[in-house]
Amino acid sequence: MNSILEIENLGVTFSTESGDVPAVRGVSLRVAAGETLALVGESGSGKSTVALAALGLLPGNARASGGVSVGGTDVVGAGEAELARLRGRTASMVFQEPATALDPLTRIGKQIAEVVRNHRDVSRREAAAEAVALLRRVGIPEPERRASAFPFQLSGGQRQRVVIAMAIANSPGLLVADEPTTALDVTVQAEILDLLRALAADSGTGVLLVTHNMGVVADFADRVAVMLEGEIVETGAVEEVLLRPTHEYTRRLLAAVPRLAVTGSGNGSVVREEVEGAPVVELRDVSVRFGRGPGAVRALEEVSLTVRAGETVGLVGESGSGKSTAARVALGLVAPESGGVSLFGADLRKARGRARRALLAGVGVVLQDPVASLDARMSVAECVAEPLRVHRRGMGAAERRERVAEVLELVRLPRELARRGPRELSGGQRQRVSLARALVLEPRLLVADEPTSALDVSVQQTVLEVISELQAELGFACLFVSHDLAVVQQFAGRVVVMRDGRVEEQGPTMSTLLHPETEYTRRLIAAVPIPDPVLQRERRKRRLALGTGAGA
Amino acid sequence: MDTLLYLTRRIAQALVVILIVTVVVFGLLHALPGGPARGILGQQATPQQITLFNHDQGLDRPLPVQYLYYLRQLLHGDLGTSYTLNEAVSQLIEQRLPKTLVLTVLSAIIGLSLAIPLGMWQAVRRNKPADYVITTLSFVAYSTPVYFLGLVLVLVFTQVLRWFPSQAPQGDTVGQVFADPVALVLPVVTGAASMVAAFSRYMRAATLENLSEDYVRTARAGGSRQRAILFKHVFRNSLTPVIAMLGYYVPVLFGGALVVEQLFNYPGMGLLFWSAAQSSDYPVLLGCVLVISVATVVGSLLADIVQRVVDPRVKGGLV
Repeated sequence: MNSILEIENLGVTFSTESGDVPAVRGVSLRVAAGETLALVGESGSGKSTVALAALGLLPGNARASGGVSVGGTDVVGAGEAELARLRGRTASMVFQEPATALDPLTRIGKQIAEVVRNHRDVSRREAAAEAVALLRRVGIPEPERRASAFPFQLSGGQRQRVVIAMAIANSPGLLVADEPTTALDVTVQAEILDLLRALAADSGTGVLLVTHNMGVVADFADRVAVMLEGEIVETGAVEEVLLRPTHEYTRRLLAAVPRLAVTGSGNGSVVREEVEGAPVVELRDVSVRFGRGPGAVRALEEVSLTVRAGETVGLVGESGSGKSTAARVALGLVAPESGGVSLFGADLRKARGRARRALLAGVGVVLQDPVASLDARMSVAECVAEPLRVHRRGMGAAERRERVAEVLELVRLPRELARRGPRELSGGQRQRVSLARALVLEPRLLVADEPTSALDVSVQQTVLEVISELQAELGFACLFVSHDLAVVQQFAGRVVVMRDGRVEEQGPTMSTLLHPETEYTRRLIAAVPIPDPVLQRERRKRRLALGTGAGA
Repeated sequence: MDTLLYLTRRIAQALVVILIVTVVVFGLLHALPGGPARGILGQQATPQQITLFNHDQGLDRPLPVQYLYYLRQLLHGDLGTSYTLNEAVSQLIEQRLPKTLVLTVLSAIIGLSLAIPLGMWQAVRRNKPADYVITTLSFVAYSTPVYFLGLVLVLVFTQVLRWFPSQAPQGDTVGQVFADPVALVLPVVTGAASMVAAFSRYMRAATLENLSEDYVRTARAGGSRQRAILFKHVFRNSLTPVIAMLGYYVPVLFGGALVVEQLFNYPGMGLLFWSAAQSSDYPVLLGCVLVISVATVVGSLLADIVQRVVDPRVKGGLV
């Protein structure tokens, strides 16, 4: 079979203020027509750089060496004019962040038509008609009307469909997809992957799929190339690489991936016994509304949930389901419109001033973004000591230093890091600093809102291990908010599934996720791709059958 | 949000701000040394004369009553009488404001039409010699006081080169001002200089920011050329923050007019304000303050409306 993309011994170096940084070294790969090659690896492995190099889209400070040939055209040596002729026609690209990938001020139909007119001599009217046809092809409802929408009027999944419509506008031979579903919910991810698969199969397009998600690889790829520190360490058919990895790194990577157990046997997950402790936090029929008047958003509607001493409750749901809002209610950050919130047996809505502060001192919090949740102008020690300054005013400086050193040790961070700034740490280290800050007051409840979503799987694993061990040691309860069902399955004893501001169902994790009672939870679970290509193929067939059966 | 509703609300807000401005101006009027009576009757007035004046003018009544009276006067277009020119302040402003508007609007148009392409060009040629040269010139122009820049221009173009006259058009009406366009060149250029400097910086920054946005990469991946990306996408996206800045630039423009009118002996509001300040002519000063405040409020209102037209997200309530 002919290769649409041939990369030979590609090297990419970025020149930065601190000197030249090699990002990609000696990478060779091929993508045949109609085939999907997944390029996997953790952040910083160079996989996105390879993807950008394939279209000559590297930033100005990058230098490429070696050979990249797309449909017979050499990309590395090509000038801008030649690249512009190639991009969008021979090869095109789908990006990770649909929220920012489209021009916010230009109507989507016009943006698609622009790609059509870049390469074909058609009138404005014809291009507009073609844009509508493309929108229909990528499954946008009412494409005639939608064509005149602005990107902000579409959901994330619809925006990604628009980006895909732009990418396939001129039936390219090669589609480069850089984390195309990472920013999307699982059910939307499944739809987008189905769409990409259908488009590729229809037109014999070769796909270079860049992803960190092994489930997506298992679902979509024919072959896999694993990257580590700028080099490909293992290549092979998807079944070979995912089921019988040969390289040590691939094995480690796969071992760190949390797997959603879908059969009763449960691969390695611990089923915890139900805890009958006293409730530490309790939400009773809580409703939350943001804004006023007809534009108000109902964020929570009569949500009831309880976290008991020592247990971990997983709060799952898709974006907009209200899971983070529920966590914020528990933290006293959002006042409910109606319903009751009790924290450690006291009514949080009635507590004021000192009493309220004392209550909230018993709750620690870890948020999703390890960069944004630490003040860049404070040292690690200052970040961790801040709750002590607020809640333990009598504490002396020496005692405080001692306590900070103690907690840093608890989260397995070396003492020496105390003086550094958060920026000097890695993502996993930063998240452990957040955890140290959350635990410094010895809380009875830890609220963790997507604490590992921004981390690579291997780092995620360590952070989760640290939380588990400390929980066993210190005995705090945990409200664990996550979109990742596999992580929740591994981590939480009970699970609460949320949807559109309501609790869809709740119960012990294992029974709820293995035998969901509601249609929605079933669909949610069916949409999670699992990193086993053989099993995943079966699951996909069943999911599609389920989808048509439900009349979706 | 519905456009009509938005406009009504936004204009109501503007009216409230203007009302607050009148309270401040009224307060300032009464914080004058010796009060308005001392100002009008002069330093020699006896306490008896002042008491009598205050009683005649209603100045011995409670402040809120006086404020309402002041507001009623305002609504009738009565801004008081100049101490020195013996003319109604409203009439003075009516004569002078159009001329200042000619100067500031021309300066703004010329300034922006230079600044915007310049800023974009700099962004495209970032960190190349052209960018450095313009950046240096911008900083020089921005940090040079307007009166000094004006003096240098006068010296070079009227004394050395003798291209332009050193006085601005002296006519009383806008028509007469436009009848002598050559004389208008130096005042307008002086007024526009700092604007070019400031807005080319804004535009450069906005363009650079937009050039690094994801949508530029998407357009490039679709085969769009650099020029098309720049003019079809980046230009409009970069313009929105610049428009927002423009609304807040109105008082700066008037501040510039103050100096330029004085320098080129151009009888507009600026010159009026300047001579009123020289002779402690408070009614005129406060009348000017009121007009400039209203202009500022209207300026930011217009900027908001233009932004709403340019950026659909504003209408959707997303930005």
